Amino acid sequence: MADKQNPETGGQATVTLTIDGLTVTVPRGYTVLEAARSIGINIPTFCWHPKLKPVGACRICYVEIEKFPKLQVSCATVAMDGMVVHTNTDQVKNGRRAVLEFILLNHPLDCPTCDKGGECDLQNLTFAHGLDDSRFAFQKYRFVDDDMTTTFDDKRIGPEIILNRNRCILCYKCVRANKEAFGEYDLGAYERGNITEINAAPGRQVANPFSGNLVEICPVGALTNTDWRYKIRVWLTKTTPSICNFSSSGTNILFYKEDHKNKIYRVTSRRNDDIDDGWLADITRYSYQVITSDERLIKPLIKKEGKQVPATWEEALEVIKKRLNEIKDKKGGVCIGGLASPSLDNASLYSFAKFLRRTFNSNKLDYRQDYRMLPKDTANNYSILASQPFKIAGIDDSDVIVTFATDLLREHQNEYLRVRKAFNFKKARIFVANPYAVKTADVAELEMVYKVGTDEIFINAVCLAALEENLVACPDRADLKKKIKPSSLKDAAEQCGVAPETIKIMARALAEGKKVTFIAGELLTRCRDREIIASALCNLNRLFGLNRKGQIAVLARYANSMGAVKLGISPEPVPALKKELEKIWSGLPDTEAYNTDTMLVHMKKEEINGFIIMGANPVMLYPDREFVKESLEKLDFLVVCDLYETETTALADVVLPLAGWAEYAGDYINLEGCRQHAEQALKPRFEAYPGYEILEMIADKFEKKLFSSTEERESEIDRLLKVDTTLPWPDGFVEVKTAEIEIEKDYPLALFLCDDPHHCGHLTEKANSLVNFCGEAYIEMAEEQARAYNLNEGDSVRLESPIGKIIVPLKISEHLDNQVVLVPRNFTSHPVTSLLMRKRRIDWVRISKVAE
Amino acid sequence: MFYSPVITNAAEAVKNEKLHLFRFVEDSEQVKIGTYEAHGGYQAWKKALTSMQPAQIVEEVKKSGLRGRGGAGFPTGMKWSFIPKDSPKPRYLICNADESEPGTCKDRVLMERDPHAVIEGMAIAAYAIGCHRMFIYIRGEFNHSIIRLETAVKEAYAHKHLGKNIYGTGYDLDMVVHSGGGAYICGEETALLNSLEGERGMSRIRPPFPAIEGLYACPTIVNNVETLASVPHIINRGADWYRTLGTEKSSGTKIFSLSGHVKRPGNYEVELGFNLKKLIYDPAYGGGILGDKKIKGVIPGGSSTPFLKADMLDVNLDYESLAQAGSMLGSGAVIVFHEDTCIVWVILKLIHFYRHESCGKCTPCREGTGWLEQIIGRIEAGGGKPGDIELIEDVCGNILGRTICPLGDAAVMPIQSAIKHWRDEWQFHIDNKKCMVKTNFEFR
Amino acid sequence: MILNDEAIAKIKERVGLYPQSKSAILPALTIAYHQVGYLNDKVYKDIADIIKVPCVEIAEAATFYTMFPKEPVGKYLIQVCHNISCALLGADSLISYLEQKLEIKKGETTRDNLFTLVTVECLGSCATAPMMQINQDYYENLTREKVDKIIEELRAKA
Ligand SMILES: Cc1cc2nc3c(=O)[nH]c(=O)nc-3n(C[C@H](O)[C@H](O)[C@H](O)COP(=O)(O)O)c2cc1C
Ligand code: SF4
Ligand code: FES
Repeated sequence: MADKQNPETGGQATVTLTIDGLTVTVPRGYTVLEAARSIGINIPTFCWHPKLKPVGACRICYVEIEKFPKLQVSCATVAMDGMVVHTNTDQVKNGRRAVLEFILLNHPLDCPTCDKGGECDLQNLTFAHGLDDSRFAFQKYRFVDDDMTTTFDDKRIGPEIILNRNRCILCYKCVRANKEAFGEYDLGAYERGNITEINAAPGRQVANPFSGNLVEICPVGALTNTDWRYKIRVWLTKTTPSICNFSSSGTNILFYKEDHKNKIYRVTSRRNDDIDDGWLADITRYSYQVITSDERLIKPLIKKEGKQVPATWEEALEVIKKRLNEIKDKKGGVCIGGLASPSLDNASLYSFAKFLRRTFNSNKLDYRQDYRMLPKDTANNYSILASQPFKIAGIDDSDVIVTFATDLLREHQNEYLRVRKAFNFKKARIFVANPYAVKTADVAELEMVYKVGTDEIFINAVCLAALEENLVACPDRADLKKKIKPSSLKDAAEQCGVAPETIKIMARALAEGKKVTFIAGELLTRCRDREIIASALCNLNRLFGLNRKGQIAVLARYANSMGAVKLGISPEPVPALKKELEKIWSGLPDTEAYNTDTMLVHMKKEEINGFIIMGANPVMLYPDREFVKESLEKLDFLVVCDLYETETTALADVVLPLAGWAEYAGDYINLEGCRQHAEQALKPRFEAYPGYEILEMIADKFEKKLFSSTEERESEIDRLLKVDTTLPWPDGFVEVKTAEIEIEKDYPLALFLCDDPHHCGHLTEKANSLVNFCGEAYIEMAEEQARAYNLNEGDSVRLESPIGKIIVPLKISEHLDNQVVLVPRNFTSHPVTSLLMRKRRIDWVRISKVAE
Repeated sequence: MFYSPVITNAAEAVKNEKLHLFRFVEDSEQVKIGTYEAHGGYQAWKKALTSMQPAQIVEEVKKSGLRGRGGAGFPTGMKWSFIPKDSPKPRYLICNADESEPGTCKDRVLMERDPHAVIEGMAIAAYAIGCHRMFIYIRGEFNHSIIRLETAVKEAYAHKHLGKNIYGTGYDLDMVVHSGGGAYICGEETALLNSLEGERGMSRIRPPFPAIEGLYACPTIVNNVETLASVPHIINRGADWYRTLGTEKSSGTKIFSLSGHVKRPGNYEVELGFNLKKLIYDPAYGGGILGDKKIKGVIPGGSSTPFLKADMLDVNLDYESLAQAGSMLGSGAVIVFHEDTCIVWVILKLIHFYRHESCGKCTPCREGTGWLEQIIGRIEAGGGKPGDIELIEDVCGNILGRTICPLGDAAVMPIQSAIKHWRDEWQFHIDNKKCMVKTNFEFR
Repeated sequence: MILNDEAIAKIKERVGLYPQSKSAILPALTIAYHQVGYLNDKVYKDIADIIKVPCVEIAEAATFYTMFPKEPVGKYLIQVCHNISCALLGADSLISYLEQKLEIKKGETTRDNLFTLVTVECLGSCATAPMMQINQDYYENLTREKVDKIIEELRAKA
């Protein structure tokens, strides 16, 4: 958190001091503690956390600094030139021992039954300081739960958190992290002095999407998670470094596992400051249960007389060979296509594409299972935008940040925390623009909620504000007005429903910002008119020169979305990639290329007859569930590989058990384009195999080996990943077309699909801990709106679109506003995609109360 | 009728020009703005605002030698000069009227009986540091002071001493009366800032000091009520006049709250350097010890300051002399106790207080005060053990100088001095499981 | 809402006085306490809604300060200072006297719900010790006679 260049101090960037006789030079702004740690001198801490503002409360980190009469806390003392610091004098040891003694006064002696045992800072320090005797001759202060008769405090304060107040040493890290880093207000400290207690907020549970971190940073066993408690002692586990499979940042994690039982017990952070700052979203922390759940597919299934029955791998592979060959022979390999999940590793994705392209000469493949109406080729403005370089850590030092068409808390939790951090530490100016209110707005200078379907008009309005206010120097700025409609800020502002004055403030900030981060998200990616909106953004970028003084990007959504792009798992890989593929494979099929949407359309027309799905679940996630189902049902032969039986596997002729990401080693490309490795933590459970092995087994049956060796596969992947897939920005301003927004009479509300903050996609429903946070779909709507419909929290609500209906409970949102409703798409019990019309920009629905 | 029946030496102040703070505190009309103005009120404010530059005021107060009356005795003018000159942020002035240090009840008299003097002093200080919105933080229990101040502030607005474009100078100044919620720690300036921001009243680590980053992270000055009430007189009569009061190094007058076993407890304004014995025994002030008993000891500057034994009372009440005597002037609360008072009992009262008031942020203060209360409580109850005194001394040593704010020091300094002065009595208490003297004070 | 319109209006007015609305928490607690007589989660929720600050912040602040009872008390809350200056002049015996007189122990409320007796730390009335505060008012320089009279008057008024 140090200031690299501090103008107030004459720009001198470093200071030099002496610690325990060693001279150390550190960036100005470093604390004495950070300086000491940078040369490997360890100073103990309880209340300090590298990503929180120091408070100097616990006092364990004392050091002696010459010329200072008293001991100083190193965590909160800024290193100064010429300081002479001692970390190990008698006075320091004395001070530390005294603090330990104070802390232990009222700390229970229950280490043998405490789950923190073995990794408890207090236990470790107590051993280190040899405090074996207590001078405290009194009854320890005891919190006792109201409804318990024992002195053991054991309070469930959240779906996954147990609090023992007696063990708490009041370092306040949990409360501080919760408020400061996460912006959450479900935990607090109450009373004062030595009877202070940590507890959940009145009438609430600690259930925020980052709550697991509180347990991880607690230095003692005051906070423990229910998934880990009483299951195993930490020293009996081994750790495996891995990558989160449910975030596109690729949060760095550690699996704690036990080899004999082939079991994972928990996940903690493997802090990587470039990526995650050491914070894990709960999804990341608890999604390992997707793998450890006992509902996993055990054996291959083969459909016999309309029923899927268990079979051996050999049987399954034989059926696949036979049926696909039949199709190939009768109709041609191009009638075979495939869909792979963007959460698969590089090897699986690459093998998938190579198999389809090489074995069947087919270009009908995709990784996008939930984005409607995709463009066919890559020569478009959306792809340009999506290919731009982006650095997560680049958010930290941006002075202006805009989030557009995204709800970061639901889609990009890691980046959500970064934006908060930039606000907390650098006082960055944050602007939030979305068709509905989102929580990022907590830290925003301005929140702009524009009318649904006016995304591009809002962006045009920002451009117009810059023109009319003369804020930018872009040489060809005069051209812009010819390319966009309407042509005045006043009209554009009126159409998108945001005050011109507000838009001007944001435009000015974009113009003045020295380092701007502009991020767009799913609402753009999933939108039918993504190309129109992206064109508006290309203009915005050109006008303000954003890419030159910062970064502008559409954030990829899944763990390996970027891998899928960079390895060409799409109908039309970008030209540079195509060239490299041609070289590697000595030629590419030049057959017709279909994306997910066109493949589904052609299935329905019976022009695609064989299909392989790996890890994807289009029935659950693709807009218009009936359409997807009907299409898949028309297939002659469908193979689906997955961890579980799903709505999609139900339609398959052959189902193959797929291994989860913890069950094999694999590489993933995060949204920054950074390649990360996840090691294998478990042996594949039951009869599951990793995707790349399954594909190799199938390819064997076709007597067309995919790779002669693993090395060959990896070297091909390496070559592809070296290709620069960044697409050049358009030469000048581009035309922004006018989108057609269909209005549906009698369906007055715009429905947006989202992920619940504790879920991602369709698999997390299998993780019990996550289900404990949220296990059922809901419809979220503004309080005022609910009142207008005479609805209350928890009411059963019928949600109808012109093509379908679902019944869900109502949740009143604190910050949503009137024009939209949100429904999470993560729950099999509420197939919300059945409401969506495939070709629509906006999904219109109506609601009514279900009579009791 | 005045609200508090506390005795003052206002009669003396009426005769003695030098005693400016108490001059009108027995005048029941003084709370009204008309009377205050008739007595020359708001002249200093007008003079400061219309004829002096802020820097000049800071200089004048520096020259006067005025030191903070809230406890720490920091030179007031110098504190004001720490406000960054070129910061674009707003600046804030806060008058500290939390008055919670046991023994101290002086600010309350000023607020109840001469509230405009407080407002006027605040206004001048605000102008001197470039503040346009000032706060007075009054402890919540002082309901009467709160009402008095709120009324007076309304009057001051009505008479255009506050508000927009004051005296046609273009200077705007607003004032907010803010009440606390019962927490001694909120008298500590950084805890006060947190409290005023709506946080729990926990102290903050320094640096940054409030003058650089205080209220809402803006430059802020916190001054005691009495300190600020002295300012108008300095502006009216000049720093040179102020320097003639008191001693060379401790200039001015100071209100002493005299309480405990004296015949005439009360608030007395005297020049700094006044003799302690005289304050206790002179019929015009304390009038001697209750029941003419022998004095045992005195806490000279509020419950946080080290004790003076009976043989140390011939000391002058100024910053330097008291420091030399091993104690402190503190907030000027002189608590007197006579020979029937058990020192362990006194300390138990105090440590109970500090344990109760510790904010709970830093470990040594939070845990240490609790432990001390238990040990001392056990001794008092007759359960003392050999080694207890050494244990107490050791625990005190582990708190002193090791905490975020001075509350930790405040809690242990009286204990350390009580053990130093009356060690035999502690030992007696431990050995004999009872007090050496009979402490059983009946109320009348 | 537990808070009445007058309290709500007063709290809203306070919010306007501060650069940050959170500063109004403590004044709001005082206003609420004066109306309700004590504070609890429901009151925190009301305040949170009025000044638009998360409820936990209100609860954290409220429980830090000791001036506000957190559960119902008698019509008259008698708070006797038992700190040093008052103790030197018989605060402990004053407390026993009140305990006898009201037939309750400290911390308790009389059966008729009229009086609750508690002890408090220094109330800044040291030179007029011993003293007590009943609801918002101070009673100083107490003697047995005065205490008798005060209690009698309050009983009569009730
Ligand atoms: C625990 C503690 C309690 C304090 N209480 C008060 C108080 O009630 N009133 C006060 O004016 N200063 C109090 N102070 C001193 C203030 O921190 C601060 O120094 C003072 O208000 C500055 O004003 P002055 O310079 O005018 O004295 C206290 C300090 C500490 C450490
Ligand atoms: S619960 Fe843990 S993290 Fe929170 S204050 Fe207590 S010890 Fe610290
Ligand atoms: S780590 Fe420095 S005070 Fe807690």
